[in-house]
Amino acid sequence: MTAFRPLHRSVRLLFRKEVRQFLRSRQAVLTGLLLPALLMVVAPGLQLVSANSSRARTSITPVIPGLNGITEVRGIFLYFTFPLFLVLAGLMTPSLAAVYTVISERERRSIELLVALPVSVTDIVTAKLAANLAVAAVTLAPLFAIDAAVILLLTTAGPLFVLAAFLVLLSALTASIGVSLLLALVARDFRTANNLNGAFVLPTMIVTGLCVTLVPGLWRFLALAVLLLAMGGAASWIALRWLTFERYLS
Amino acid sequence: MPTAIAFQSVTKQYRNGKVALNSVSWSVGAGSRVCLLGPNGAGKSTSIRLLEGALEPTVGSVELLGVPVGERGYDEARLRTGIVPQGPGMYPDLTAAEYLQLAADLYEVSIEGAIQTFGLRDYLHLRMAELSGGFQRRVVLAAALTAEPEVLLLDEPTVGLDPKASHDVHQYLSAVMQGRTCLLCTHNLAEAEALCDQVIILQEGRVIVQGRLEELRRGARPRLRLAARQGPEALRATLRQAGPVHVDGTAVLVEVADPTTEAPMLLRRLLDAGLDVYECTPVQATLEDVFLEAVQ
Repeated sequence: MTAFRPLHRSVRLLFRKEVRQFLRSRQAVLTGLLLPALLMVVAPGLQLVSANSSRARTSITPVIPGLNGITEVRGIFLYFTFPLFLVLAGLMTPSLAAVYTVISERERRSIELLVALPVSVTDIVTAKLAANLAVAAVTLAPLFAIDAAVILLLTTAGPLFVLAAFLVLLSALTASIGVSLLLALVARDFRTANNLNGAFVLPTMIVTGLCVTLVPGLWRFLALAVLLLAMGGAASWIALRWLTFERYLS
Repeated sequence: MPTAIAFQSVTKQYRNGKVALNSVSWSVGAGSRVCLLGPNGAGKSTSIRLLEGALEPTVGSVELLGVPVGERGYDEARLRTGIVPQGPGMYPDLTAAEYLQLAADLYEVSIEGAIQTFGLRDYLHLRMAELSGGFQRRVVLAAALTAEPEVLLLDEPTVGLDPKASHDVHQYLSAVMQGRTCLLCTHNLAEAEALCDQVIILQEGRVIVQGRLEELRRGARPRLRLAARQGPEALRATLRQAGPVHVDGTAVLVEVADPTTEAPMLLRRLLDAGLDVYECTPVQATLEDVFLEAVQ
């Protein structure tokens, strides 16, 4: 009961239900786009514009080891700030939605309607997390495409940089599954889940900041991806090993 | 009679240490309508949770249609089982039709029959949270019965409903429970008496009574209902030595070993004491009497 099974018919049917419910509220869909748009397009766009201004084009000499060789403010944006935004967007977009769908289902007791049907609790939680991941991926993919186009047009970074950044985004999304599962099982109510979600951001940002500061070149993206996947894996393992789905129903 | 539901030496201890079921063994034969009674926290809902596969027993084995829960073949047994959960919350963003279609797709059947049986055709377009309590319960019943299941598990199916909606749900239940193995968890003793023929009473995670309702009623100590013009307190004072006396409105209920021989004797004693007795009736024990006797 505590292990994930391959996606089968019941998970696919529950997945469709989750997506349908998500799309039903136009207001929720629109407000759900706000955070990713701010993190993926608005904030990086403003930074890039300011980094491209004539005053910012002066040469710099960073003293931090991982930023050695970066001689422009634009470089700081590409190798330091931009990965932070990617990690935040990749982790928070699905986990905010997942916490809502998983916890609210328990709080309003509609989970009973699902448990009464011929599905397992594993199926229910898997479908919820998969639906949130899919919705987040569909939301973030076009935003990343905008970022990629802007970076390729306005900076000296090449396709390899874009690919490395995409790897970080994918890893953050994957890690968010484990984190969402852990938060949903640990939190007894929606408010606690939100608090935990908020508290989770700071250590993540510190680790990400250390990683992009200390690891040189494009290696920082690879290191970041490995760290994120390890974090997601650890969260999933803790959730399934110690918390179990029994907690979800109690 | 083959066994449809079986609990064999089942203990369920939650992670917080609470023991919900303590080495219980009971079974339900195919086609029987059994009521699971007990005070709050007796282990009724845990029993349903174990049968629906949402919980695993700490010790022992739970079987549904001859298959241990969670083992190979359980998924198939689950498709032959309908479950009506206790007071479920309703989706504000899913219509009745969408939920019923999900149930039908999961059971791999058509939803048409259940829609017709429960008169839901005109309400399908409404979001579930917008339906009245009675119709919400009908939707849940329709989902549970969509596949014409052999086993029906009902966890407090009328809790929270107004008397009219409760009556409607009882009408539906009386019809759909015929010919099926049914396990009904309820606090409503009248509901249990009307819908079931066997009873299992749980208390603090243990089975304290199990049997056919008729036999349990017959086994309960018979009583006499007595009323006098002077009122129940005067009767109680006079009958104090005859056995346990309970005031019941304007009358009293006296436990006796044999109403046929003891009623004339008690009547004579009351009349000799100057009481104007105007009622003396043997009372058949109700399920409430059986229940209270068992749990007190």
